[in-house]
Amino acid sequence: MMMRAALLHPLRFRRDHRFTRMQASAYLDGELGPDDRGRIESHTHMCPPCARFMAGLRRTVSALGKLRGTETPRVSVSDGVLARLRDEPDTDGGAAPPPV
Amino acid sequence: MSEQSPPAVEDGALVARARAGDLLAFEELVRLYADRLHAVVRRLVDNEHEAEEVTQEAFLRAWRGIATFKGDSQFFTWLYRIGVNEAHRLTSRRRAPVTSLDEHLIEPADARPGPPRRVEHDDLRHALERAVQGLQPDQRAPLVLRDIEGLSTTQAAVILDLSEAAFKSRLHRARLAVRDAVRDYLPGDPEQ
Repeated sequence: MMMRAALLHPLRFRRDHRFTRMQASAYLDGELGPDDRGRIESHTHMCPPCARFMAGLRRTVSALGKLRGTETPRVSVSDGVLARLRDEPDTDGGAAPPPV
Repeated sequence: MSEQSPPAVEDGALVARARAGDLLAFEELVRLYADRLHAVVRRLVDNEHEAEEVTQEAFLRAWRGIATFKGDSQFFTWLYRIGVNEAHRLTSRRRAPVTSLDEHLIEPADARPGPPRRVEHDDLRHALERAVQGLQPDQRAPLVLRDIEGLSTTQAAVILDLSEAAFKSRLHRARLAVRDAVRDYLPGDPEQ
């Protein structure tokens, strides 16, 4: 199917290929409109390398999310912060961060 | 993609009291956010000692500047921005040589005997951690905030003071780099 699509519409196939690679994250994050989503889904249906690319990226992002909470501090972070805070002479002792 | 808000606690009253100089209220904010901020910072610096130092410094700066917090954004967004800036300040002061992702990551995977197709959870986790640590700082922070900590694109872009377009571009490049680095640890991903 990939060969057929690439032969029949080579320019469009290459454009869609590039588009898929560039917009893969936006696709996975649900940030594309229906037209762009459809374009990527049609292309990945016809292009096995792009389908594998998208699947690999999806698994990577999913695996990254599982790292959340695995960084356990050796000591209580808040205890250290509170100790430093209580040693502060006053509230005007340093440069303030930018207002947000 | 799962998104996770920071502590779902109504902190508005605590912030208002802290802005009025109530240290006890600010201490409650410390207890709410210290672990989360530490988790972010830990992945932006080199070791646990630096992470603790940066986390403490960020809270001190937040306390000193709490009166300037206008509430146009959420408190945690403001706090995380201070923490990320502190981490960047530390790493740029140290002027560590930049390690290329390829140098840092590919060799351990290649050194394994044979193609390591069998996925073992710890191997993947360690490979991911190495890949994240090997990213350039401007790519690492977007990935840590968005994909590991689960903040929204908007929240993470605000924290990093980036336009959403610039943020998305850096995030995408970071994801591609991590994906390339851990490809051998993901099942069924022969794409080269």
